[in-house]
Amino acid sequence: MRLAALLVGSALLLLVGCRRDVDVPPSTSGERIDGPFALELPPGFPPLPEHGGVPLTNASVQLGRALFFDPRLSRDGTIACASCHFPDRAFSDTVPISRGIDGRTGMRNSPPLTNLAWHPAYFRDGGVPTLEQQAIAPIHDPVEMDFNVQLVAELLADKEPYASLSELAYGERLSAFHLVRSLASYQRTLISGWSRYDRYLQGDPAALSQAERRGSELFNSPALGCGTCHSGHDLSDHRFHNIGLYTLSPDPGRARISLDPLDHGKFKTPTLRNIALTAPYMHDGTLRTLEEVVDHFARGGQAAPNKSPLVAGFTITDQERSDLVAFLKALTDERPIDQVDLP
Amino acid sequence: MERIIVLSLSVLMLVACRKDRSEPEPPAPTPTPQVAGVLKLTVVPIWEGQPLQMFTEYRNHADQRVTVELLKMYLGELELTRPGTAKRLSDVIYMDLGTGPVSHYWPVDTGAWTGMRAHLGVPDALNMSDPSLYGAGHPLNVNNGTYWTWATGYRFAMFEGRYDLDPASTASLVNAFAYHPGRSFCYLPLQFDPAGGMRVAEGDTTELRVLVDVERFFHSSEGVIDMATENVDHGNVPALALKMATNITLSMSLE
Repeated sequence: MRLAALLVGSALLLLVGCRRDVDVPPSTSGERIDGPFALELPPGFPPLPEHGGVPLTNASVQLGRALFFDPRLSRDGTIACASCHFPDRAFSDTVPISRGIDGRTGMRNSPPLTNLAWHPAYFRDGGVPTLEQQAIAPIHDPVEMDFNVQLVAELLADKEPYASLSELAYGERLSAFHLVRSLASYQRTLISGWSRYDRYLQGDPAALSQAERRGSELFNSPALGCGTCHSGHDLSDHRFHNIGLYTLSPDPGRARISLDPLDHGKFKTPTLRNIALTAPYMHDGTLRTLEEVVDHFARGGQAAPNKSPLVAGFTITDQERSDLVAFLKALTDERPIDQVDLP
Repeated sequence: MERIIVLSLSVLMLVACRKDRSEPEPPAPTPTPQVAGVLKLTVVPIWEGQPLQMFTEYRNHADQRVTVELLKMYLGELELTRPGTAKRLSDVIYMDLGTGPVSHYWPVDTGAWTGMRAHLGVPDALNMSDPSLYGAGHPLNVNNGTYWTWATGYRFAMFEGRYDLDPASTASLVNAFAYHPGRSFCYLPLQFDPAGGMRVAEGDTTELRVLVDVERFFHSSEGVIDMATENVDHGNVPALALKMATNITLSMSLE
């Protein structure tokens, strides 16, 4: 009976998989849907932090995954999370600022959604402390989904695969409580850490070309100092910096949350993992290419009042710039970020 | 009949507690050792002594034309007080004053009480909590439209409407104002002590009526709102938020 239910649930997952313009990777993992989710972490990664929420189970992750790709999370059924976070772009967008419901323009560039479990706070200004609370924001944002998490839960609770998966994951009918936890659970499983650079660090010298190795050395050199902020397993210190993108940033950044003028124009250091896939760059997507990004830091940015002293500029030759960009492109994962259907 | 009301209120308090979540729940009201009376708090929105009419044109202190279109607020940590002790009535209550006076009821001990104290807004712990914990009917339910998703917290008050700076104009009001004070620095204390105190008798309902004079939102001894330059705050203008929150607290008085 349980097996039959699982199979039906999986079939329904497949059925609801493709809606409108969002391509949903089909799920094939019905046979292991009801147990703990076997999350695989890259070598050398710290353990998944405690998050105080529900445990990661196959059902909760599957439920979150189905929700992530479902445009019914928006008021008019047109915008899913995946509408602005494409799986093949490390769950980021391809445009400077994403468009939400009714073509409304958002506020900032959609960030990639990898290694989120280790982030101390969410959004580029760090205004939200948990992934569960983050999940509510785009649903309610009038320029993103313009809907209501309670109404979404009510709308979907009796529909498949949500009814079956919610029962499997929580033993209850889908509610807003389950909805945000499921979205958070799925996003916690989006792990990036299988790039050629990772293989290189693990002792495979052939994983990087000579140019990429030269780029790696430049990246970590005191002269460039990229690795000062882009450090650790996520290649980010997850702290807030003004990098001099503007003399007076039109976006208050971290100051919007802290109300501290000294935080004006500061944004959370983005991960550099899969950076070749996540153009355009910066919080507002103003830089189109990695070369433009390198040039920005080489110039030392604009003379913003609270610009980080770490952004002081440096001299770089064309060859070095090419090597550095080659290295950045070696940070792309060699396997899917989404682990739900991994064999 | 009043005993039935008291009993019903007790039952309501009991069933209001959800226990099916792993997340911390909002603190439950302190158990009442002797439920013998009822306190009724009624908050009445007015404009210069008269019941507030939404979408009705008023003149503010600067003779500017104003209509009110939205008026919501929270009161936090409501406590009934008497010398040496206090009884927590509620951690937070929500009021949509756009529909007129709002009443809340609590079972309380009999005897003499000095009055009530509270705060404008949502206590810190609840303000930072996960809104998906709160179902329909809970003051912190997201359906109330008071949750700031981007900053994790609630608007302590939402005061919106339209205005015209020209007192001589007869045109329709088109300029919108919106004041949304929130965040911990806007969590301001309130005290309502009736002259001579208040007495709760067994089986009786004792009412405390608090008037909110919306006209006073624009001016007080602590600050005047200049609508020409101070007409919008969505949590990004802290000085204006604090001035509005202060004016709101000063607009409240016992009837």
